[in-house]
Amino acid sequence: MKHCPYACHTSDHLVNRRLFLGGAAAGFAGLTNPAAARELAASQKRMLVIFLSGGVSQLETWDPKPNTDTGGPFRAISTSVPGVHISELLPLAAKRMHLLTLVRGINTAEDEHGRGATIMLTGRRTEPGLKYPEVGAVAAKLLNTTTPELPGHVQITPGGGSGFNKEDAAFLGPKFASVTLADGKPPADLPRPAILTTDADREREAFRQKLNAKFAQSRRSAQTEAYTESFEQASKVVAKANAFDASREDPKAADRYGRHDFGRHMLLARRLLEQGVSFVKVSHTNYDTHHENFDFHIEQLGEFDRPFSMLLDDLSDRGMLESTLVVVMSEFGRTPRINDRYGRDHWSKAWSVAMAGCGLKAGAVVGKTNANGTAVTDREVNGGHLFHTYFRALGLDPTKNFHPAGRPIPIADPKTSAITELLV
Amino acid sequence: MGSLRCRLLAAFNACLALFVAPVCAEESLHQRIDQKIAAGLANYDQLAAPLAGDAEFLRRITLDLTGRIPPAAETRAFLADKSSDKRTKLIDKLLASPEYARRMQEYFDVMLMDRRRDAKVPGAAWEEFLRTSFAANKPYDQLVREILSNDGADPKTRAAAKFFLERDLEPTIVTRDISRLFLGQNLQCAQCHDHPLVDDYHQEHFYGIQAFFNRAFLFPDAKDAKAVIAEKAEGEVSFISVFDPKKAQKSTPPAVPGWKPIGDPKLEKGKEYTMAPAKNVKPVPAYSRLSKLAAAITANENIAFRRTAANRLWAMMLGRGLVQPLDFDHSNNPPSHPQLMTMLADEFAGHHYDVKWLLREIALSSTYQRSSEGSPKSQNIPEHRYAVAILKPLSPEQIGYSMMQATGLTDVYRNELAKTLTEPTLQTKLAPNLGPFRQLYGAQPGEPEDGFASTLDQTLFVKHGNHVRNLIAPRTGSLVERAAKLAEPSLIAEELFLTVYSRLPADDERRELAELLRPAANRTNTLTEVVWAMLASAEFRFNH
Repeated sequence: MKHCPYACHTSDHLVNRRLFLGGAAAGFAGLTNPAAARELAASQKRMLVIFLSGGVSQLETWDPKPNTDTGGPFRAISTSVPGVHISELLPLAAKRMHLLTLVRGINTAEDEHGRGATIMLTGRRTEPGLKYPEVGAVAAKLLNTTTPELPGHVQITPGGGSGFNKEDAAFLGPKFASVTLADGKPPADLPRPAILTTDADREREAFRQKLNAKFAQSRRSAQTEAYTESFEQASKVVAKANAFDASREDPKAADRYGRHDFGRHMLLARRLLEQGVSFVKVSHTNYDTHHENFDFHIEQLGEFDRPFSMLLDDLSDRGMLESTLVVVMSEFGRTPRINDRYGRDHWSKAWSVAMAGCGLKAGAVVGKTNANGTAVTDREVNGGHLFHTYFRALGLDPTKNFHPAGRPIPIADPKTSAITELLV
Repeated sequence: MGSLRCRLLAAFNACLALFVAPVCAEESLHQRIDQKIAAGLANYDQLAAPLAGDAEFLRRITLDLTGRIPPAAETRAFLADKSSDKRTKLIDKLLASPEYARRMQEYFDVMLMDRRRDAKVPGAAWEEFLRTSFAANKPYDQLVREILSNDGADPKTRAAAKFFLERDLEPTIVTRDISRLFLGQNLQCAQCHDHPLVDDYHQEHFYGIQAFFNRAFLFPDAKDAKAVIAEKAEGEVSFISVFDPKKAQKSTPPAVPGWKPIGDPKLEKGKEYTMAPAKNVKPVPAYSRLSKLAAAITANENIAFRRTAANRLWAMMLGRGLVQPLDFDHSNNPPSHPQLMTMLADEFAGHHYDVKWLLREIALSSTYQRSSEGSPKSQNIPEHRYAVAILKPLSPEQIGYSMMQATGLTDVYRNELAKTLTEPTLQTKLAPNLGPFRQLYGAQPGEPEDGFASTLDQTLFVKHGNHVRNLIAPRTGSLVERAAKLAEPSLIAEELFLTVYSRLPADDERRELAELLRPAANRTNTLTEVVWAMLASAEFRFNH
């Protein structure tokens, strides 16, 4: 299932080659004509997901219910959009509500972390025998990147190991699987090791090319082409390894985003999006607040609000927000009921997602929950509707099919459809 | 070979009219393979590539039958051998070697288990089961019966139950994989309705297979690492086509697609169990549906089984199946050579599923031994006409073993083991080095390993990774160290090309290498980079 046997023997790699050549040309234009490069960067569609891991509380963020039995201690504050209120824990985001779009009627009916994340990231429930690609892999495949020197699907995690993943692209193949930058660090094998000098690297590459050219005189296939070309592509990524280094950004920007891990990761996300990476996911942890929900949300959202707002400003100022879809999601929300440890538990029946940018009506709010937030009362949607909406917003048709092993599989769940009232 | 079948064939064969009978009766399968392949393309003899040279043949057959490139010493000896039957002798030697059983073990492990993680059967026990099966040349149908009939209860034979146990007996996945691997029919798309694109694949086929084990379950439960397969005496599969507006509920008894269902015996009330179900008790039904599965799948009348078995062995050797994709055998996707497919399948079954015999016949064919070097006249011939040998990407295991052989690490281990050198002792030393290759080049667990992708992580692993750099690094007896001790650039070229590419260098390659080595400074460093370039080249990455 991983590789499509039809594609591999036909034109897939050739298409890729054309893309690659197109990218090389664009890179050249970029060097000689900064204005053209800016224009190109602005028109290329991208997607940023901020994943608030563990399950952020909708009541302490986008759908506050102050002065009710479930509301908790925080106030709701007015925002830059008249009539729309959000939690006082997001004062900077409130000033940017005119850039945001809220979906308040989400019911994903899945209270387990892993399966909840699957619904939000693939737009489908877990099914035996078939894995669906994550949104980042789909975006990397469908958003023709103009700079294939960099991987199209990158995720920045707070910790763990950096490296290349296989599974999250499912049947789309490893080409679209994510590269993880744990704590923002690139995979170990990406930078050229010091022991290999530039000269030695150049010489051995030249000899490798010579050997391949000779072999290709009488023996070549789409597979041998793809193999030999992968070295040229890798050299380009290595040459652009600085794209992964947020410390090269202006220190003033680092101050603005906040001198903490999440601030640094968000600044790196901006850098990657600017360099033409199609999809970036930044995870912020941990919102799984079964205990002391309110203290934890003060702390966590205090860290989230500033870099999120700065990134919105920067994308907006640089003219990139029109072409960049931003989504703030979790695996689910948190219970309206406050438990006896001042915590909130897992809750998927009525929660919210915030979006911004590309293809969306700025300032719009769709969906409603009841007075104390225990049920959706208007425009109920699930992970499938959201998945459709992302790709419609990006100007794509998610009702089309992928064809792994010749079998048609719709890009987004055909039982659901886009939230069209949010779309421009 | 003189089997009854051959004599019958000979009796009816039209060629009797043209040639004397004994010649025809003596025709081996490999000759008949070549006739069928030649008949598949007009002017085949003029268009097809010539037979591969000795070096090309040696590398190909060694990779296919032992999973690694040949050591340089074997290459030198084979090239120097002047006897006319040296290819036949080589094939027989490789099939008799312990490396053959290891190669088959690894190939069938990936095929049957899709690199699933070991949760219920240790990998080592399963590998040993496969390895000893292939070493003893166990008939393939018997091997499959052992896999499909084991309930995991007997610790001595539990390994064979891995196919079921690691899939947690999950009905959708087990049904899909039985149909895919043993019947050549991926029925997954027929789970919810008759296959939308394939007329031959029906929803009742999917549930007919599932009905063999719909009463089976893991006892005490799927979470237990020591779980065994238990069975109930009742329970039917039921299904509704999602395309059926009436939503009619259907059922089917156990059945192999295309064959009459297995009738369940009527059991007297109260005598359904020899061990009745109770709390913490493994029930034993008086009649077991699951016990009928292995025989039904491998039954002589089930042509799909022998076709799939023969097609998969053909694909292992030739680089694509006569039926391609391997699990898409149906009337609208006929084999590239329908008569050859039938003949291979029937001969394999007629020879009691003798795996070594079939591989030997395939290896002896000119079709297998054709050169992979294309020419302008063969340029536009599709690969399924077998006019030019297909370039096969090395499997993750083949890359690993071949890199260890090429860089000399395997020889270093051989020297270290000295008198204690056997295939298993050498394997113990090689195996730990395989991990990164499997991790990077293998498919993800639970996904079939088909197709080819060249990914950034693989390329960076070769370019910058410690693992490959350490393999190349000079050590006593390693390739770089051996080559650095030679004075004459031409001898260095021979050592490098024989060891890494299993062939002698051409004149221009000798000259190029001499030029690279001309600067006197640090020859070892230069050789390290040259060996790297050879390992990273397409000539090494593919079995050609």
